[in-house]
Amino acid sequence: MSYLLNQLNAIRHLAEIEAMATSKKVITREEWEKRLNDVKVRKEDMNKLVMNFLVTEGYVEAAEKFRLESGTEPDIDLATITDRMAVKKAVQCGNLEDAIEKVNDLNPEILDTNPQLFFHLQQQRLIELIRNGKVEEALEFAQEELAPRGEENQSFLEELERTVALLAFEDVTNCPVGELLDISQRLKTASEVNAAILTSQSHEKDPKLPSLLKMLIWAQNQLDEKAAYPRINDLSTGALEDPAV
Amino acid sequence: MPTSAPPPSNYPTRSEDLIGRINSVHTPYEAKLKALRELKNQIIGNRTKKLAFLKLGAVPSVISILSSAVAENGGGSNLEFNEPVIIQSAAVIGSFACGLDAGVKAVLDAGAFPLLFGLISHPNEKVVDAGARSLKMIYQSKLAPKYDFLLEENMDFLLSLLNSKNENVTGLGGSIITHSCNTSMEQEKLSEAGVIKMLISLLGGSLIQRDASLESLGAIIKENPGVISKFMRPENGRALNVVTELIKDRYPRTRLLACMCLILIRNTSTCYLQDAGIKTKLILILLELIDDPGQVGDEAPFALSSLIAEKEDMQKIAFDSNIVDKLCNHLEKGSFQAKRLQGIFLALADLCSKLECCRDRFLSLKAFNILTDVLTHDSPEVRAAACICLKNISRSVKNLSAGHFMNEAVIIPLVQLLHDTCTSVQIAALGAISNIVVDFTAHKSKFIHCGGVKQLVQLAKSMDSTIRVNAVWALKNLMFLVNSTCKEEIFLELSPSMLISLVCDPETSVQEQALALVRNLIDGSIDSVEYVFAEDGLLLNAIGRQLQSASKVEVLIQGMYVLSNVASGNEFHKEAVMNQLFPQAGSDTQTILIKFLQSTDSRLRTASVWALVNLTLTNSPDANARVMKLQSAGIVCQLKNMVNDPCQDVKLRARMALGQSGEHIRTWDAFIKVSIFSLLLVEMEIVKFAFIFSVSSMYQFPFFVSCPVPWLQHVVVGD
Repeated sequence: MSYLLNQLNAIRHLAEIEAMATSKKVITREEWEKRLNDVKVRKEDMNKLVMNFLVTEGYVEAAEKFRLESGTEPDIDLATITDRMAVKKAVQCGNLEDAIEKVNDLNPEILDTNPQLFFHLQQQRLIELIRNGKVEEALEFAQEELAPRGEENQSFLEELERTVALLAFEDVTNCPVGELLDISQRLKTASEVNAAILTSQSHEKDPKLPSLLKMLIWAQNQLDEKAAYPRINDLSTGALEDPAV
Repeated sequence: MPTSAPPPSNYPTRSEDLIGRINSVHTPYEAKLKALRELKNQIIGNRTKKLAFLKLGAVPSVISILSSAVAENGGGSNLEFNEPVIIQSAAVIGSFACGLDAGVKAVLDAGAFPLLFGLISHPNEKVVDAGARSLKMIYQSKLAPKYDFLLEENMDFLLSLLNSKNENVTGLGGSIITHSCNTSMEQEKLSEAGVIKMLISLLGGSLIQRDASLESLGAIIKENPGVISKFMRPENGRALNVVTELIKDRYPRTRLLACMCLILIRNTSTCYLQDAGIKTKLILILLELIDDPGQVGDEAPFALSSLIAEKEDMQKIAFDSNIVDKLCNHLEKGSFQAKRLQGIFLALADLCSKLECCRDRFLSLKAFNILTDVLTHDSPEVRAAACICLKNISRSVKNLSAGHFMNEAVIIPLVQLLHDTCTSVQIAALGAISNIVVDFTAHKSKFIHCGGVKQLVQLAKSMDSTIRVNAVWALKNLMFLVNSTCKEEIFLELSPSMLISLVCDPETSVQEQALALVRNLIDGSIDSVEYVFAEDGLLLNAIGRQLQSASKVEVLIQGMYVLSNVASGNEFHKEAVMNQLFPQAGSDTQTILIKFLQSTDSRLRTASVWALVNLTLTNSPDANARVMKLQSAGIVCQLKNMVNDPCQDVKLRARMALGQSGEHIRTWDAFIKVSIFSLLLVEMEIVKFAFIFSVSSMYQFPFFVSCPVPWLQHVVVGD
């Protein structure tokens, strides 16, 4: 973890110095590491980042353990994570009715004020009915629950038409809208509902760590134009690789 | 819990059955709880079902369950289910009130308000949450009763809400302020009670608190410079900086609310937020927010419109940020909610209200076709917004003379909109038509032939005075420089008697437009002057009466221009004008003409002197007799006082009239005549009259005396 922050800080530092330089400067590994060591990152800040990741991604048990071990307080009631994960899981397993009821128990405002999310959950429910071959039920559900939403919103109508098109194909795996039956569609819906619950709890919907990684890659790319330096290419290990001279 | 229950196969029966279970006294408490939860899950997010259950009387049933559960709370035999029942019924009530006015009405009618407020002080946090959420939903509707901040106990309660640790409760406090703070008295009361300070501290709170705080801050500072200066005070720290930071927040809703807050501040107190950096930033952020697929994207164009409306500097900055293209790209993407479409067209309308570059850009893009398409949109708000946009684009004299708008794709739907069931659409369509029919080329007959005049005349008879004035305005502009065949057609459709009643309309703004309509009607050839003698001169008499009695200066100005135009005719015409100006020959009463010449309004002085110029033209045989009459009425004397009038227009024409009356102010030779006329022409160009003269008539003597009025509508009427 700290490699990431250190690297970022060192890059920033260097970029400031290098801003005026015209030709590419070469920085040796030794020099770079010295710079890295000069950068101080507070342990509490790193712990907070870790906690933020665990909470946002829904790792309740890990978060609980980490709280005990590091003394970092999560910025959200851990019990609410359990509820949120139950919703996410229900969507991932295709139990949409269950998921909807759980969201409504958690906070009835979420689906009442977020028509797009509600539509996507209902659409997913329709997809599950089609997947299970319940054609009549699917048609009835589409007509009664989804068609009125399509009347309220043009883009919903288009999505609904695309979904119902699944019924028209014998071999759905090879039809143009086949991707709706893909497991990735469930994951997409699950992450949408996860984000909405987090927002309703005043919590950031994305963990901070991935954006930090994105920042690292961006910063390294920027610096590449100005200097040769020990780069981190393997993000999983964070190992520094010697500059090609 | 069933994971895939079969969907309702005979849905009405199932709904009725559910209501039956909720209503029945025999349903055990546990089953009632289950039924409530089922009802909640059926209606959340589902407008159709909300309406269906409303019809079945669900709301009063649920509220009576809530009422008895609250009464039993803490005692009774169903302790285990009591609080869950309260929570579920409060959630059901909240959902009925969410985004559905009929639901809010039912909830309020059944007396849920005091019950829900009672829940706020409940010891169980979940009950508090449920109560606060439902109340918040109700306060988001216009139908919610106004919260009286002037009552001390109410203010205390509000402060306790804002001080709460529960974010749903602080959010409720914010919703109450947003809903009920409308007058400056209420704004000051809240500010005195320290609410601003509390809201500023909530800006540092959770997402929900931040948004609620931004929204209620907006309500408290709106159009109130006093409260804004309080907000800016140093003891509030860097409150403005905090809000300014929030326009870059990660949450779109927060960004939008922060932008709206800043817009309210800068629109009210022009001393803040004036640097170009923040102006551009606001524009770019709002443009980006239009991309949001949800409510934020629907509201962003309205915020953009309030930022740029009436402010040319902002419109220029917006134009330089390529805003016209960006908004048009949104339009081309299509399939929007009506609200967003309305907002985008209103923002485009604001952009095109003043700057020719914006109009040109919009006209050059494909999106202009979308504008004509949405004239037939299902939503009346969208139709009206499209008309307002069209009205503002057609303010361009250049594009009007190029005949960009007088084609069937524009005119036919516009004329259709004159029949619209919605008054605001009719008014907006009249505004657009008013400008388009000015059209300087020979396209006016197109408008007449697609039934436009018939409908305009109908609307000029409307009971609604706004419609009436706009319809007459449109007719006036249609009459501007129209050829004699079309003039005849319009006159017949209007009928002299209707013209008379419009000139005598109870609304002065209608009188003004009607007189200007007559002014354009009799402009042009001498034959045209005859129209004013219709019905045995009744029309001219009506105009004369208005001149004697009207007090609004704009009415008098148009009246005098009518007389000017009549006086440009033959001897008979000129005499008729004299009779209107001096009704009781030989009487001592001061003529209105003296009053007009002494008016403090230079426009009225100009119009009056113009009439005198036409009456005293030396090439007519009876001019001398008229000059004598003017002399004895003290007019010539008055004119002498005006040779150095501060208004250039008046000065030159007064000198001319005097010269014609035989009063030598300067050598009155042909050379000077020509030079004065050329001076006049230059002036006319400045006031945009010059384009009405054809080059060939340049040196015919009384060529400039008849002056029609094209007024492009520069104000959004009726909004």
